[in-house]
Amino acid sequence: MSLVADPGLVADSEEPGARSRGRGYGSYVVAKVLGSVGSLLFMLLVNFFLFRVLPGNAAQTLGRGRLNTPAQVAAFNKAYGLNHSVLDQFWIFLKSTAHGDLGLSVKYRLPVSQLIVDRLWPTLLLVGVSTILSTLIGVYLGIRGAWNRGSVFDKVSTGTSLTLYAMPEWWLGLMLIAGLGVGFAFVPGLFPTGGLHSPDIVDTNSVHGILDTIWHLTLPVITLTLAYLAEYSLIMRSSLLDELGEDYLQTARAKGLRDVVVRNRHAVRNALLPTTTVIALNIGFVVSGAITIETVFSIPGLGQLSTEAISTPDFAVLQGTFLVASAGVIGANLIANLIYGWLDPRVRT
Amino acid sequence: MALGLLLAVALPGLATGAPAQSKSPVVFHVAMLGEGVDSLNPFLGFQAPSYEMWGLTYDYLTGYSMKDMSPEPDLATKWTTSPDGLTWTFTVRSGVKFSDGVPLTAHDVAFTFDRVLAKDSVEGTNWLSYLNGVKSVTAPDDTTVVLKLSKPVATLPLLPIPIVPEHIWKNISESQMKSYPAAPTGGKPVVGSGPFLLVQGSADGSTFKFEANKTYWGGAPHIDQVIFQFYKNEDSAVQALIKGDADFVEGINALSVKRLQSQPGVTAHNGNSPGFDEIAFNTGSTSDSKGTKKIGNPNPAVLDPKFRHALGYALNLPQLITKVYQGAGLPGTTIVPPNYTQYHWEPPASEKFTFDLTKAGQLLDAAGYKVGSDGWRTLPDGKPIGTLRLDARSDSPTSLNTMDYFRQWLKDLHIKSQVSTYSSSQLTNVIYKGDFDTFQWGWYVEPDPDSMLSYMTCAQRQHSSDSFYCNPAYDRLYNAQHVETDHAKRVQDIKQMQQILYQDSPYLVTAYSAIGEAVRSDRFHCLVTQPNPGGIWLEQYGVYNYIHMKPASDTSACDAAPGLTGAVKTTSSGSSSSKTGPFLIGVGAVVVLALVGGGIVMMRRRTTVQDRE
Amino acid sequence: MTDLAAPRLSARHLARQRRLASYRRTWRAFRRHRSGVAGLAILLVFVLVALAAPLLASSDGLDVTLANGPVLGAPSSHYWLGTDDNGRSVLTLLIWGSRISLLVGLSATVISMVIGTLMGLVSGYFGGWIGRITFRVTEWMLVIPFLPLAIGLATVLGPGLFNIIIVIGVTSWPSTALLIRSQTLSIKERAYVERAEAIGGGRWHQMGRHVLPNVMPMVFANTTLTVAGAILTETTLSFLGLGDPTRTSWGSMLDSAYQVGAITTGSWWFVIPPGICVVLVVLAFTLIGQALEEVLNPRLRARR
Repeated sequence: MSLVADPGLVADSEEPGARSRGRGYGSYVVAKVLGSVGSLLFMLLVNFFLFRVLPGNAAQTLGRGRLNTPAQVAAFNKAYGLNHSVLDQFWIFLKSTAHGDLGLSVKYRLPVSQLIVDRLWPTLLLVGVSTILSTLIGVYLGIRGAWNRGSVFDKVSTGTSLTLYAMPEWWLGLMLIAGLGVGFAFVPGLFPTGGLHSPDIVDTNSVHGILDTIWHLTLPVITLTLAYLAEYSLIMRSSLLDELGEDYLQTARAKGLRDVVVRNRHAVRNALLPTTTVIALNIGFVVSGAITIETVFSIPGLGQLSTEAISTPDFAVLQGTFLVASAGVIGANLIANLIYGWLDPRVRT
Repeated sequence: MALGLLLAVALPGLATGAPAQSKSPVVFHVAMLGEGVDSLNPFLGFQAPSYEMWGLTYDYLTGYSMKDMSPEPDLATKWTTSPDGLTWTFTVRSGVKFSDGVPLTAHDVAFTFDRVLAKDSVEGTNWLSYLNGVKSVTAPDDTTVVLKLSKPVATLPLLPIPIVPEHIWKNISESQMKSYPAAPTGGKPVVGSGPFLLVQGSADGSTFKFEANKTYWGGAPHIDQVIFQFYKNEDSAVQALIKGDADFVEGINALSVKRLQSQPGVTAHNGNSPGFDEIAFNTGSTSDSKGTKKIGNPNPAVLDPKFRHALGYALNLPQLITKVYQGAGLPGTTIVPPNYTQYHWEPPASEKFTFDLTKAGQLLDAAGYKVGSDGWRTLPDGKPIGTLRLDARSDSPTSLNTMDYFRQWLKDLHIKSQVSTYSSSQLTNVIYKGDFDTFQWGWYVEPDPDSMLSYMTCAQRQHSSDSFYCNPAYDRLYNAQHVETDHAKRVQDIKQMQQILYQDSPYLVTAYSAIGEAVRSDRFHCLVTQPNPGGIWLEQYGVYNYIHMKPASDTSACDAAPGLTGAVKTTSSGSSSSKTGPFLIGVGAVVVLALVGGGIVMMRRRTTVQDRE
Repeated sequence: MTDLAAPRLSARHLARQRRLASYRRTWRAFRRHRSGVAGLAILLVFVLVALAAPLLASSDGLDVTLANGPVLGAPSSHYWLGTDDNGRSVLTLLIWGSRISLLVGLSATVISMVIGTLMGLVSGYFGGWIGRITFRVTEWMLVIPFLPLAIGLATVLGPGLFNIIIVIGVTSWPSTALLIRSQTLSIKERAYVERAEAIGGGRWHQMGRHVLPNVMPMVFANTTLTVAGAILTETTLSFLGLGDPTRTSWGSMLDSAYQVGAITTGSWWFVIPPGICVVLVVLAFTLIGQALEEVLNPRLRARR
């Protein structure tokens, strides 16, 4: 549990004192949803005040050499609501957020919601595809490794996973760019070194455009897949090993069930639970999880948007992206909790 | 196997990177680096790439010459000044049309300027400085614009404000303006009168596509499309150029330029940019522009002009250029770069700083900063100077390395110092609080040095001034040149101001930096630098090269450009495969590493259980 | 060992004896894990290099003003791993970089462990609002996206060795806290803690004397794994330009290699060695941590 995000969070997230055994699923759901809403509201407050301590102000960092007179600075601050006191700004923030308005980016002068929508899909595509691939491959490797524990396959796959796990994912990305993007020796660079489309693609939704996007995403997706895969295969392997030690499996085998049946019907299904939890939690980190990969591969995603906003500082963008990010984590957490509670009534303590 | 599938699907995509065929439109792909476009609305953006976008989309009343960036006719064919300098009359070119067919007239110009002049308007944030002192703008007829001034303004006729179509923008209210994107919507290009039409792109995006305006009044461009692609890192951009995905890359470092110069089919150079880097001193931080209340904690030594001036002899600028700038740049002197030949003041040999630690020591001794018994220099009152704080920006290796050298030279002068680093926004905070002795930063200087010169006036303290410099003699000259209608007299004032600054040394200008650029000269030619010679190809003042560059297939002579030299010539194309053989080792290393990891596990007698709960 | 039965030994002495014996047992168990021993060996090499850095390469080699090697020069007999963009020997940077990377990793882990253990103990041991609040805070820390938070914090604090240690330490404790919490919860139920409570032992007394010593083994195993994470985070933050630029770490080397376009110029010697060092050290900590976890966690041991 110590390597990665902690499935224990899900199992543990109820108060130790409150033990009403046999609580119904309905009240469990209500409690969980209320808890999540509470967390989200708290994050809203944190998001606002957290960023106010960032150094610099937009008029100085953006307008260096442009906003030369006090009148210009005043006009700028007035237009973007920076002339109000922090408390007033907080009220305005609360009111507009309640109306679903995330405010204006002081750098891009566009609604934050539009910026987030623009940036969300490259990130979703990148992280989504990587998650699916890494889950499939990782779970497969984990199962095969655990089942044939000690075999050459297990040793190689565990060793590789551990090595990948120890590798900064962006360094792996750089190596892939060097090897497959730039090309070496007689091998030409097969893949683009960055970006999401070739610049001359007219319609990104045409077949040609989609193929082009796939071509651009190949290296980043491989990188992220390898990075995630390490985690998933290690977890899957260890939780399956846990299951294999359980008594009921011995019984099943003693009953004469074939190995494959035992593996697939019983052990794997139970062992998938912790893995699913970790994957669900990781999906929550989709929006923020790929900052370094986005940087290395010049992909205009959400991670880049939020990190760039820090230096301005572009409060509305920071608040918006962090809100989306925390909502993602909280949402994924909630779903994991609900599934967990459904599958395993013991959790509904 | 899933990867293989991806690969198979991806392979058809490879064709998309191929260069444009002869029958298809001629596309000029530009790989841009850095911040990106912050707004396509010309009243809102601040970042340099945004200016490039507006420059292609819109026209300006006056333009800049390629030779030395002096004002020259653009939309305005000629202009006259009243003898008192308070009335300027511009004649606007007739027959100019916006891309939607509506004619561009003097009324559009007056409309644009009026929006900038409106009190407290967001339109004024970017452009008001150029209309300072303008009382009213009128358009008595379709071809005449009259500016009435409250006092003469020396920077006129320079008016680099993009002229927007009144019939579109009059519908944008002041409250809508602050977030008006002015971006293409629903496949319709942005309406403008410039040589290109923006057909695709939005402010936070990374791709911007322009189509040539074939009916441009200045003549149709020789290329059909310009596409800007923004990269977050230099390696990707340079690789795009080498592989042929890009035809031009802007803003690369000197090492990449060197590498690309040996690349067949590529022409690369370090162009002199109109900017400088400096070591700035805290000359007396105050809480407001009047200087009523001292704030911060500057070391007493840096407050003394004599101390600062003496340090000018402790900078080995040629070494900085070779080592820190990798040769891409020139040793600096004053805050007006030599690119602006008519305004730049070059110190005579007798006054010019040379690397002379003995002389620096003598000057310090004479000013009372003698070496004390402990081997370090003291203040004139005998107290120790202590440790000077050299603040560098953590996001710029140049900044840090410059300060590292400075520390070394100060040590040789028996002055203790320490380098500390801040992020740019953090350093801005520190500067406004006055909690610094020296820092390293730089400025871009516009073709008219007025605004750069203004940053050193008393009134700019707590605004654009970062050295808190205040000298009444300098301010008098600044105010005089600002309203001076006699150009020769103004130039003289400006040179004298530079001399004062050189003497008082609020800034020690270390370098005139250069911008690395590279172009696929096997595909395009006829690019000319600005200023000429020695300047840059892209991000110029104006959009000359986008209009006049030619595809290599067009072998006719370049457009006549009187007095300009050194246009980029076509070179034979090289193979687009790169020779990065050593990376074979790199890929090998990854494989080996994975095997090492595997091996470690193979050694285990028994498989351990990685437990997760 | 025969003295063990001697009645004149004080209880404290006895406890120390017993603890010593348990360390020996642990070490014997650990030695059976080849991967753990391999990790320890790798780690020892790096620690030795870090400690002996001044003997292996003069610190003058870090000063850009004194560097006079070629710019991005390939490996040669003089510069075994080539030179960087300032003409400094990459090998020298690598050797000195191991100090910063290890120092940051270890110090940040200490902070993270202290916070995590405290929060975990408090939230696990105390019921009521104290436990509830600490647990909520822990949860919230897990929910906030980690990297942007670290980047924001690093921006606020500014670049600096000490600051980056704080940033990593302050952001990486929640998983430790959860681990400690669940351990504490199970130990709390045990008979002797209840007995201590019955004879009137104060809460802090119980936590210090009974709960803490029992969760310590898990903290220790977790520590080594946290170091691995901290070193990776340091590398990533430095790569994003948020490290201390006045000091050389492996992350800052990779950052400058990336900034000067080492891939374009084909300067593999500037990109690959720092990366491999990071991988080896992180791998070493991970292997040690896993082995320790297995040795120290009684449940795991029993199951084998």
